[in-house]
Formats: sequence, structure tokens, C-alpha cells
Amino acid sequence: MSKRLIMIHDENKCIGCQACNIACRSENGTPDEVTRLQVRVEGPFGDAPNLHFKYNRVSCQQCEDAPCVKVCPTGAAYVGEDGLVSIKAEKCVGCMYCVAACPYKVRFMNPETKVADKCNFCKETRLAKGELPACVTACPTDALIFGDANDPSSEVVKILNTKPSYQDKTHLGTKPRLYRIPTKRGGSSHEQYLGRYGAI
Amino acid sequence: MIKLDRRNFIKGAGAGGASCALATMLPGTLAALESAPLKGVGKEVASICEMCSTRCPISARVVNGKNVFITGNKAAKPFGGKVCARGGAGHSLLYDPQRIVSPLKRVGERGEGKWAEISWDEAYQTIAKKLNEIKRDHGAESVAFSSKSGSLSGHLFHLGKAFGSPNHFTHASTCPGGYVVAAKAMFGTKVKRDLGNSKYIINFGHNLYEGINMSETRAMMDAQMEKGTKLVVFEPRFSIVADKADEWFAIKPGTDVSVALALCHVLIEDGLYDKEFIERYVEGFDEFAKEVKAYTPEWAAAISDVPAADIRRIAHEYASHAPHAVVDFGHRATFTTEEFDMRRALFAANVLIGNIERKGGLYLGKKAKTYNKFAGETVAPILGKPGVEGMPKPTAKRIDQVDEQYAMMWSSGGIYQTILDATLEAKPYQLKAWVMSRTNPMQTMTDRARVVETLKKLDLVVCCDVYISETAAYADIILPESTYLERDEEIADKSGKNPAYYVRQRVVETIGQTKPSWQIFKELGEQMGLGQFFPWQSMETLQMLQLNRDTSELRRIKEQGYVSYGKPLMLREPEMVSAFAQTYSNAKPVDEDGTYGSQLKFKTPSGKIELSSKKVEGMAPGRGVIKYREVDLKQDDELYFIQGKVAIHTNGATHNVPMLANLMSDNAIWVHPLTAGKLGISAGDAIRITSSVGSEEGTALVTPGIRQDTVFAYMGFGSKNKELVRATGKGVHCGNLLPHKTAPVCGMNIHTTGVKLAKI
Repeated sequence: MSKRLIMIHDENKCIGCQACNIACRSENGTPDEVTRLQVRVEGPFGDAPNLHFKYNRVSCQQCEDAPCVKVCPTGAAYVGEDGLVSIKAEKCVGCMYCVAACPYKVRFMNPETKVADKCNFCKETRLAKGELPACVTACPTDALIFGDANDPSSEVVKILNTKPSYQDKTHLGTKPRLYRIPTKRGGSSHEQYLGRYGAI
Repeated sequence: MIKLDRRNFIKGAGAGGASCALATMLPGTLAALESAPLKGVGKEVASICEMCSTRCPISARVVNGKNVFITGNKAAKPFGGKVCARGGAGHSLLYDPQRIVSPLKRVGERGEGKWAEISWDEAYQTIAKKLNEIKRDHGAESVAFSSKSGSLSGHLFHLGKAFGSPNHFTHASTCPGGYVVAAKAMFGTKVKRDLGNSKYIINFGHNLYEGINMSETRAMMDAQMEKGTKLVVFEPRFSIVADKADEWFAIKPGTDVSVALALCHVLIEDGLYDKEFIERYVEGFDEFAKEVKAYTPEWAAAISDVPAADIRRIAHEYASHAPHAVVDFGHRATFTTEEFDMRRALFAANVLIGNIERKGGLYLGKKAKTYNKFAGETVAPILGKPGVEGMPKPTAKRIDQVDEQYAMMWSSGGIYQTILDATLEAKPYQLKAWVMSRTNPMQTMTDRARVVETLKKLDLVVCCDVYISETAAYADIILPESTYLERDEEIADKSGKNPAYYVRQRVVETIGQTKPSWQIFKELGEQMGLGQFFPWQSMETLQMLQLNRDTSELRRIKEQGYVSYGKPLMLREPEMVSAFAQTYSNAKPVDEDGTYGSQLKFKTPSGKIELSSKKVEGMAPGRGVIKYREVDLKQDDELYFIQGKVAIHTNGATHNVPMLANLMSDNAIWVHPLTAGKLGISAGDAIRITSSVGSEEGTALVTPGIRQDTVFAYMGFGSKNKELVRATGKGVHCGNLLPHKTAPVCGMNIHTTGVKLAKI
């Protein structure tokens, strides 16, 4: 069976320290003005002393039904055999349709290459060498878990089977492959988050 | 082979147009080099980080011939092979065009920002001539030497000692000194915490999720998430650690000691303390118990705003998990003049439940010497020292040696801020020169204006650094140190429950004319005519000396980067002791109760834990017994001003590192919505913050995550020298707002004061 590579962001373990952001920039040479990945510490929400922060990973969701791929006129944005939403630089004409189409606002034009860019789970820089994505490798508190959701013995499957999780903007039918474990504090219903972040 | 031309450097740094132009014009910076071909020494090199003072084990890699990807060293299990944002950004410092790569001399007024590149020879000759003149005319003691702690400080202090000055300082009195001295007074030595095995953690603003200490941060998160450990946080601000806590109490700034003492009160009055432990290991319990009788939770509630019922309940919950529970004794809580007794009270709450040398409690570090003695064999090599003969003995007293009460601090880094008193007021005598390495008192000491005055008054100021820091901006000579990614250094001790060593190794070849500090201070010493005190030729010689010429062990440590010996040992933990005794056939005999409890001794005058101390009473009359004293931190119409750490920066050091500056270059001032409303301040407004000594402009961050009577800002921002292009003028300079004040006994530089806010 083919692989279904997914990432889980455990918002309970995330401390918003930006180690992932720096590791990503270092490995992928992302220019300063743009970012493939950041964790926004939002809030605090609630009434004191019952406050809580929201740790919001902002990066490509690796949609299984990706709007950016659908709108790309040249086939530069494509889904590879590995299932990952990727970009063929030589085919990109810089029309920015994909940037506009992304419901998660995580695609951008790379100011150095002039090609559309985004997180690709470190497909070339690390996965090809059998390494984990840079952000997962660096994360100080093990808040990021990466693996094959089609492998029942994988850690990601174990976690999805035992912990509550949600995905962002699922109503759009994009089938994101970034799963999030909501924080226990301040109510655990993910609808609350989705409501707050404009999805419903 | 790395090829980096000037254009790529500048592009990589991504500094804004105008500021970039200024940076490229600065003489002696990396940008001024026309080309700098670099070579990676190896593909993957194990080393030690230096982006903060935790110094985590790292593994650095040269990628595509251009960059270095840095992650944690997987061989160091407690650190999990992980690295924080600062650690991961080390290569950004390495290739920063604004780094200084040539010795510089001042050609304008001090602080004016006019520099000329000079040769190492000229730098050494200028410094040596001046220092020797000062020594001849005023005595060696009129020169102060200061450095951040770690392997670097040893070489500068060695030079200072060879020169004959007793005045060496670390940054301790501006940072961890309080709990270090409190631990010395009570346990005779520093102690460590076993957060990972703790079942209940009480935390007073030790923000491990922002001031990241990789092994402890990971241990605490693991305990919380995987073991169900409860975390209670007392902190005036809703920090990340407060967010992750099971319970957060917005304690009134400076009142931590009252809650700690009330916890002790409940433990004693409700009979929850470990009587057997107290009887066997503790001195001065009765005096402490008598004093604590008055410190009821109701009393503490009136002072701290923490409800009495909660204090009582938390004390009971904590005791129910004894001895596998801990009250975290540091790092930062609100600094007050009662820092010493606040830290002792936190330690006392641990001692009362007998968590010493128990899982999840506190323990003493097990270095090779101790560990080998228990094992009855050489499990870990004991590191040798070069042992230089005939080092001069300074005749003068240290400048901070004016008052006996500070005696315990003299050997723990000294009272750093006394350099200001000695320079400006000749107290106790006149200082004439200041030689410093990788320290930035302009940011970390209080009353910036006074630091400036001090630097202007001295006859000679020398700074060794990687940037023209806010302090280096006032130097006469700047010595460019290689970054940690270009340096080899001594093997360092990283022992915890068992011995461990690790080593810093160069990852890329040296850029520009920079040198490692051990070489700089050796060469300067030679120029000063002190060559006899620096008999070693290279770092390799020193490393060989450390390992008694055991080349295979040296190779092993270098290859793995981090080597741990034996298995964890806590003397009062039967399981660990039994496993230890089974491993080593000549191990010390185990006590009847299956522990090494009879071997647990403390380096205090009584050999016991001194809950109350006659020694302290002798040093500082009236302070032998831990006591509550009211502190005066602000005027009635002022707000408390407190600071803290952020995960992206290290207080006085990283604000100009390109990747980190790009992530965060400003520190907005946290203000409660009601306070902001009263002052007509809205989110994002430009505001003025004024204290008794200074005034700063900043931006308001209106948030419920702070008490109404308090404002907060992250430390280290708002640099005022133009050379730190990315950091200058951005945010609030905390040191400029804090008055010069020193805490009794521990000599801590107080970082809390009163301020007023106004919309600009």
C-alpha cells in the first residue's frame, strides 16, 4: 500500500519557541522576508485566571484535494507519487494563482527564485535522505510527530487513535494532512478554535 | 568547500537597505572582507552550543557547501537531540556580515562609533603597555576582569590572576547568583532538580518553556504530558509555563517568599514534613519552625494575593506526593532585596518533605571523583588541570570584599556591579581598567547611565566579543573572538546523577582574523611578560592534560561529542543504589535500608543541611534564620516593572543575530486592559515608560496576561549603540529603567522597580 505521510502538531506540548521555524529556514534556505512555517502564539483567550494560548502551526497542510494544484495552469503545482503537494520550479510562471487559491494562506512567492514556494515536509532536503522533516528533528518538546498514516504500527496512527485531534477548515473538502491536538486548557472542543479562526 | 562572496553574505543577512549600508561600511566586520572562502572541517561535528549559557550538546552539519544545519547531539540522551531557535540559528551568527573579524581600536570619543582596523600585534602591544603601566602606578588590583561563565572565563581569569588582580567577575550577580548562594548556605554546594521524575512541581516563575534549558525543559514537559505530573505556577505574568500549568496564580511581584514560607508553615503545623529526614540530616529546624509559626496562609494571602485556601491545599497536595515532589528554586522569580531568603525558603520547602537524593526531588551532582569513590573503581576519568606553578598571590582584597555578609559570593562570580562603585566612587579603592570577554553589562546590569559613566571614566576598556555589543561600543580596543562554531575548547563537565563529559569542536575553519579566547588571552599574557603562566601550546595539549594523555578516550569524547559514564545514582533511592552496587563489585557497602543514606554529607559547617545557619548569622547578623521582611519595590502611584526571558533571544547577546532579529526585534510592554484603559492607552500605542533612573519609548501590548499593577517586558532589547544595526533603537531597554540596588548576602543586582506609563 502507498504511504500517506502526515504530520501531527500537539498543541499541548508546543511551547511556541520557534525552533521549528529556524530549523526549517536553515535546512531549506528560506529568505528572511517569507516563511514556510511558523507557530503563532495567539491569545491569551478566556477570563483570568482561566486563560490559555493557542499554538497555531501555520504551514502547508498537504491537502489531499489541494486547491493550489487545481488552479495551477502549467502543472507546476502537482501531487507526486509520494502524495505530497510539490512544485516543479521550471514549470512555474509566477502567476500566483496558487497563492490566491490556498485557503490556509501558506503559499508565497520566493523573492529569490521567483517561484511559488511552501512547506513540502522537507521532501528533497531530508525525506530523500531518510531523515525526518527539519522541524520535527528540532522540536524541543516533541510536539511534532511525522509518519505514515497507512502504517498501523506507526506512531502517528497510535496518536490519532488515542488522542482527540482536528484538522483546519475540513468543511472545504481539502482533506489536510496536518492534524492538530487541541490544548486541554480553555475547552478542548475544536469547533471553538475553528470558529475563532474563521472556518465556521 | 564553501564559497561565500560579499554579495551572498549581505543577501543572506537580509538587513534593511539603509542599515545594511552602514554595516558594510563598518571597518573590521565580516562584510568588509572582499572574499572569505570557507571550508567545512567535517560533515557532521559534535560540539557545544553557545547561543545561551545552558550550553547544550549539538551536532553541526555543512550543507550544500554553504550553510551549517545545527541540531542537538543525539548521543546526549537528556537533551533528546534537540535544539532551540537560538541554537538552530548559530550559523546565522557565523556568517553575519556585521560580526567583527578584525581587531579594532577606537579613533573617536568613547561610544562615538569611530573605529579603525588594527593588527593583533598592535592590539596586544597597546593593551599590554597600558595594563603594565596601570599596574606599576596603581597596582594590579586596579584592573577588573569580567566574563560570562563557562570555559571562556577560565582563560581570562587565569590572565587576571597571573597579572596579580583579585578582581574577577562573572554575570552571576545579575542572574543566577541568588539561588547559588542560598544553596551554598544550606547545602554547602549547588543542587540540581530531577523534574522528569517529579509527580508534583511547584514553580515560582522559572519559565523553562521560554528560558529553555533543553534537558530540564524536556524533562518537565515529559513529566507533565506522559506521567501526569501536576504543575502549579506562581507568576505575575501569564507566561508559557503559566499556560502549560494545571494552576496559575498571578502572584503579586516580589511576594514569592511569603507563599514559600506559608507552604513551609502548613507542612510543619499540619505535621506533613518528614521528621525522620529532618532529625537525621537537618540543622536549625527548631529555629526555623519557631519563625515560620506566624507565616500562616492567611498572612501570606494578604501579602501575595494568593488565596489562603489554595496555599493550604497545594501544601497538602505537594506533601502527598513526597518525596517525589519538588519546589523549583529558580531561575527568575521577581528579584527583590530579599532574594537570599526567598531562595532559602524555596529550598526549605524541599528539605521539609525530605526529597533530597530522591527521584523527582533535589540532588547533588555526581562528578567523576565522587562517583568513582562510591563505585570503588575508575568508572569515569577525573579531569586533570594544567597546574601552573608560582602564580602570584594578590595582596589586595577584592573590590566587593568590603562587607563580610557577601563572603559566599566572592568565590561564586563576585558582585559584578561593584565595578561601578569602585570606578565612580573609589569604593573601596579606585579601578583604572576593565578587561571583559563576552559580557554585556550595559544590558544586564542596572542603571545604564551609570555603566556609561563608568566606561567613560576608566583609563582602559578592552572587550573581547563577536559583535560590537552595546558595551564593546565603549571599548578602546575590541578583540574579535571566533564564534563557537570555529573554536576548539577544553573538555567540559556535564555530570548529573552520573558523570558526563562533552567537548566544543570547530565546525568550520576560522573566518577573518578571529581567534578563540583561550589563544587571545594566552597571547596577550605573553605580550604582557606573563608567558611563563601559559605553558601550553595548543588546545589539544590542554585536552590531553585533562585526560592524562589517554588518547583513545579523547578520541572517543571527540567522536561522540558527549560521553556519559555509569548509571544514574541518587543516594537515597533504593532501586538506583541496588542497581549501582550490583554493577560495581567494589562498590561501597549499602546501608541496611538499601540506600547510601549514611553517606549523604553536606559541605556546611555542621555537615548537615542548615535550615538555619550560624555561619550566615555571623556574616549578616539577624539573617541566620529565614525570615520575611517587607520590601520596597515601587511608589504607590507606580506600577511594578518586571522582566523575563523569551525563547528566541538570550538576554544580552543575540539580538543582532540575523535570523533571530528577523523573528523578533522588539519587546512590547505588557499592560493589563484595565490599567491601559485608565491611562488612555490602546493596543499598539506608542508609550513612554519612566522610572526613577530612566525613560524609554515602547509599544503597548494590552493583554489580560498580566496583573493590573504590573507591566512586563522581555530583557535585552533597545540597544543604544549604532553598531548593532538590527537591534538598535528597537524596543525598551530594561537596564536603562532599573535603579542600582544590591540585595543583602547574595549581592544580587535587583531587577524590579516602579514605573509610570504615558501615551506619547
